[in-house]
Amino acid sequence: MLNRVKLHFLALSVFGESSRHLATVLLSVLVIFILSSVLFISSSIKYTVTTALENEADMTVQRVRGGMLAQVPLSWEKDIVNIRGIDSVSPRVWGRYFTKPKGKSFLIIGVDFLDSNANKALSKIVGSTDLKKFLNAHNMLVSAKVKSWMKKRFYTDSYSFLSADGEFIKMNIYATLPKNSDLLSNDVIIMPIDDARKILGIKEGYVTDFVLNVPNDAQKVFIEDKLSSLHFDIRVVSKKESLAAYDESFNFRNGFFLTLFMILLATFSLILYQRYTQSYSTQKRQIGIYRALGWSIKDILTLKFYEIVVIILGSYVTGVGLAYIFVYIANAPVLRDIFLGSGNFSPDVVLIPVIDFSALSSIFLLYAIPFVASVLIPVWKIAVSDPKEAML
Amino acid sequence: MNPILLNTQVQIYLFGESILYIFMIMAFIISLHILLKWDFDSFSDEQYRLERRSYLVITILLFVFAVKFMLLPYFVFTIDSLNTLVPGAMCAAGVISANSYGLELLFVKLFVVFILSWWLMINYYDLQAKNYPFFKIKYGLYIAVFVLITLELWLDFAYFGNIDIHQPVSCCSALFGQLEGANPLPFGLDTKTMLILFYSIFVTLAILILTKQDITALIFSGLFLYISYYSVVYFFGTYVYELPTHKCPFCMFQKEYHYIGYLIWGSLFGGVFLTADSILCKKVLNVDTSKSKIYGLLLITVFVFTVSAVVLIYRFQNGTWL
Repeated sequence: MLNRVKLHFLALSVFGESSRHLATVLLSVLVIFILSSVLFISSSIKYTVTTALENEADMTVQRVRGGMLAQVPLSWEKDIVNIRGIDSVSPRVWGRYFTKPKGKSFLIIGVDFLDSNANKALSKIVGSTDLKKFLNAHNMLVSAKVKSWMKKRFYTDSYSFLSADGEFIKMNIYATLPKNSDLLSNDVIIMPIDDARKILGIKEGYVTDFVLNVPNDAQKVFIEDKLSSLHFDIRVVSKKESLAAYDESFNFRNGFFLTLFMILLATFSLILYQRYTQSYSTQKRQIGIYRALGWSIKDILTLKFYEIVVIILGSYVTGVGLAYIFVYIANAPVLRDIFLGSGNFSPDVVLIPVIDFSALSSIFLLYAIPFVASVLIPVWKIAVSDPKEAML
Repeated sequence: MNPILLNTQVQIYLFGESILYIFMIMAFIISLHILLKWDFDSFSDEQYRLERRSYLVITILLFVFAVKFMLLPYFVFTIDSLNTLVPGAMCAAGVISANSYGLELLFVKLFVVFILSWWLMINYYDLQAKNYPFFKIKYGLYIAVFVLITLELWLDFAYFGNIDIHQPVSCCSALFGQLEGANPLPFGLDTKTMLILFYSIFVTLAILILTKQDITALIFSGLFLYISYYSVVYFFGTYVYELPTHKCPFCMFQKEYHYIGYLIWGSLFGGVFLTADSILCKKVLNVDTSKSKIYGLLLITVFVFTVSAVVLIYRFQNGTWL
């Protein structure tokens, strides 16, 4: 084990010859930095999306015709409510409004302000808005991004929507939505349900979909089956399915990145292997002296092992620390766009610091295994070198 | 491409296992060579070279063991994190039963860790002695380990490659809980008798280890592992989850339960493996392993205290038993 003398030797060989290790450490820090930045960004966004989804309803009921979403008749609500174990069913009217056929699009959400469920949810978002005044005229609530987009086009206090019937509907901008969950609501417009129907072309007596809750977890699968058998063209989407879909999309991006990263790792390992082979051959004399002084092969292997552990841990902590600063304090410029995209109203996300065991252990394993693997053989070669040969 | 294989953790896990395997192949070829040519009394260059190569095998295996040891909890963690992708699964129990390879893989893994730790112990005593007395045993055992790890690697890829994310699986309460009145416990035990058995086997085991009754202690440690598994799943686990119907060996690995599963299962398997390894070492090599046996017993004691504490803490916080 490590005693004081060996600790002294270790300190000498790591810090006394720091220039020898400098290149290795710098390269390692860079590799870890890139890897941890990407993993940090993805786990932070994943966390934001998951917590946002936690507040969503358990299931969504849609109608599918010819593989496309169709409007759902309001009469379905009765059938759904009749199933036991289902709580708070509410119809939703929403859809996308394109400013021009291939332009930006808003997500229009129609809210029935007389419905108490919807009201509760909305008052949580808008809080201070005076609903009576809001309902008196054609008013809407828009997200900050949408507002600034409109303002640039001189729609400072109202916007004229072209309804599905071809007539213009002028809506006043009543207030801006607060910026709490920008990731999912960056293109949202909230308006009274009747206006939304007109703009989106949803007939009276029809809605886009229903949402509902199932308080008992154990009943979810069963209730999903029951709902699915209500109508031949019904489609039930559960919260778990949407979580899985998000998970899959993150996995796809991460997986793609990692596959490329492995190529980088292979190069990194090759460089390390070369470097250690070379630097140890210049060290041969030194090792020869140790051996001549009575060190065994095991002693030299142990010393080298601790040296590598110090380098690995040192670069790991530095790399992860730098990535933390880059991602959570500098908010990851450039790299962030890989995950968020910048198509339609790119969201202004503040990355919430999420440091989980998963990311940290993944980074460590992905870096430490190839590192040790590539220096293992050079280290062994130097440790078993014959003292007599080495001194020559 | 199967979306499971694009999962970050799965990729890293398979990548790590594959690198290890490359090194194992290297070590395997060298050890075959060493086993065939080894002659300790020879002074030839060949023998000298073999002795140096032997160090390479040892170095590789130390590396492999260290990483395997880290990869075991990582594996559990990985399958646990897959539960969002596999429909129906709520924890690792569902994911591991997604196809028939899962449970086999877990058993092979545990067995590999057991054999590898035994190998390490033999290696330790071999290096302590000056004339490599356990040389043949050590390399013979390694060849057995290599065969096992080949199987393990194949199972790794077969398991992760064949998880169908459109095929619903059962969650843990369906796998362990609802048995429609059938008694899941072995030998027709009821919970009370099982607990009496659990604690009495523990006390007996401790006495056997302290009084050096090796063969009986070995049998009892196996028995203890067996009874502990059922006790944790069907009794202690319910206190971890604070729900009498929640019976699952895997959910306790999750964050909601403060990752206590790693401590519970880690100390149980660590303790039993260490005890069994020391006894096997002593019987096969005839060396003094009483110290590591005591460490094994300590770990088992940590396990027993942890699970008992969970129950007692629940009792004091809520004023009632489950």
